[in-house]
Amino acid sequence: MTYNEAISEVEEILEKIENEELDVDELAEKVKRVSTLLKICKDKLLKTNEQVEQILKEMEE
Amino acid sequence: MEQKLTLFELNQWIKDALNTAIPGTVWVVAEVSELKENRNGHCYLELVEKEGNEIVARARATIWSYTYRILKPYFETTTGQFFTHGLKVLVQVSVEYHPAYGLSLNIKDIDPAYTVGDMALQRKEIVERLQNEGVFDMNRELELPLVPQKIAVISSKTAAGYQDFINQLENNSPGIKFYTHLFEAYMQGSEAVPSIIFALDRIFEYEDFFDAVAIIRGGGATADLSSFDNYDLAFHITQFPLPVVTGIGHEKDDTIIDLVAHTRMKTPTAVAEFFISGAERFYERLIALEEGVVQVTRETVDSKQEQLEGIAENIHRFAGAFIHEKTRQLVKTGNSLHHEVNRFVFRKKYELNNLKHDLHSAFSVWKVEKRNSIDRQKGILKQVVHEALLNETTGFNRLKELTRHASDRFLAKEQERIVRNENLIRLLNPENVLKRGYTLTMKEGKIVKSIYPLQINDEIETRFSDGTVKSKITKKEGDGNKKSDL
Repeated sequence: MTYNEAISEVEEILEKIENEELDVDELAEKVKRVSTLLKICKDKLLKTNEQVEQILKEMEE
Repeated sequence: MEQKLTLFELNQWIKDALNTAIPGTVWVVAEVSELKENRNGHCYLELVEKEGNEIVARARATIWSYTYRILKPYFETTTGQFFTHGLKVLVQVSVEYHPAYGLSLNIKDIDPAYTVGDMALQRKEIVERLQNEGVFDMNRELELPLVPQKIAVISSKTAAGYQDFINQLENNSPGIKFYTHLFEAYMQGSEAVPSIIFALDRIFEYEDFFDAVAIIRGGGATADLSSFDNYDLAFHITQFPLPVVTGIGHEKDDTIIDLVAHTRMKTPTAVAEFFISGAERFYERLIALEEGVVQVTRETVDSKQEQLEGIAENIHRFAGAFIHEKTRQLVKTGNSLHHEVNRFVFRKKYELNNLKHDLHSAFSVWKVEKRNSIDRQKGILKQVVHEALLNETTGFNRLKELTRHASDRFLAKEQERIVRNENLIRLLNPENVLKRGYTLTMKEGKIVKSIYPLQINDEIETRFSDGTVKSKITKKEGDGNKKSDL
């Protein structure tokens, strides 16, 4: 999943919440989804991805 | 035979002729094809003139150190350009001819404006060419990823700027992880263009992996930028599928590759900052979204709760009011009912009393009347019964007399008839008949009144008044075969 896709989905959900398009049950589910997406983004942003490191290493050879 | 000259004499002659022919100094336009500085600070150059790629004129030149010390910084600060080979220059020269070393031009002065103009002209030509080919904006039109995290770096390992760049990237404050790989290239001199193009070609193999390319070179007071005003390199960059960010360390005019690059930064550190700030903005956006979602969710939940509480309160209030109102109505209705009932009961009691009273008096009257009436009727009845009894007694006595009379007559009459019948019966009795001589013939217990059932030899019984005899039939006379009317 790309940053763009994740952020777009999060913003879409946020808009729905703001416009009160969601009932309380959906709300809980969507908030959970948002939290997952944001976690994915943060991890990707801040944590070292071993796969990427591996590709860079292969470039040296 | 003509006069013989030694070589020295000839060269001396040439020198004198040149001095006469080209006295003082002249301004000459030429291209610097080689340039060397020696230990004493003198500068030795080779100047050429080209038509296309062909060199049509060539001359050695020198700048004596005392001149060079002034000219070089003057030129470089004015042009923003190293005083080096490849430049087109306008120089003031005196033509020197040394019998031993030959022709040489001694450079006395230089006009940097010419070089600036020439460079600008060259650049303008390159820009126009790229624009005419429709490629000039192509790299700039590429979309930089939201977070350029994987960066291909074109630089020289030894370049001061490269290390600055890496340090800057690795020590960003939010701790964003960047992935870089160095594709080494010469960043100045004649090898720069082909080696940078070669590096781009290698990065192209990892096109899908990288997010962006950074071309960086450490700064300095001035720099050799002619390499970056190159059509081939610029063309490569426009055609490159990844956004190219430049940081080639100069303050003056943009080079061609700065113009065609996606983003132009001044220094390698600035390039690093550029990437970091993009990622930081994204990171901040993440945090803002996170907070936004939390806040909006909390608000939504709070508002729902508020609604709920409001509804509950309303229900409570309405229900209370409703119950109160109904209770009030009920009490009121109860009161009026009670009142009505009391009134009704009172009225009915009153009416009942009246009725009772009426009834009582009516009954008393009626009782008196009835008693009178009964007494009267009793009198009448007594009288009537008395009279009837009297009548009946009289009638009865007369009837008794009549009955006795009639029954006496009836008895006498019957007595008479019985006597007559006794006589008749005495006459009719078979015993008496038999006594008078008549007999009775019987066969098998039955009276025989005709000869018809009797056959010869049949046994018959003849009854007399004093007994019976049995006899056999011996003869039969008369019409005894005819059936009688018995």
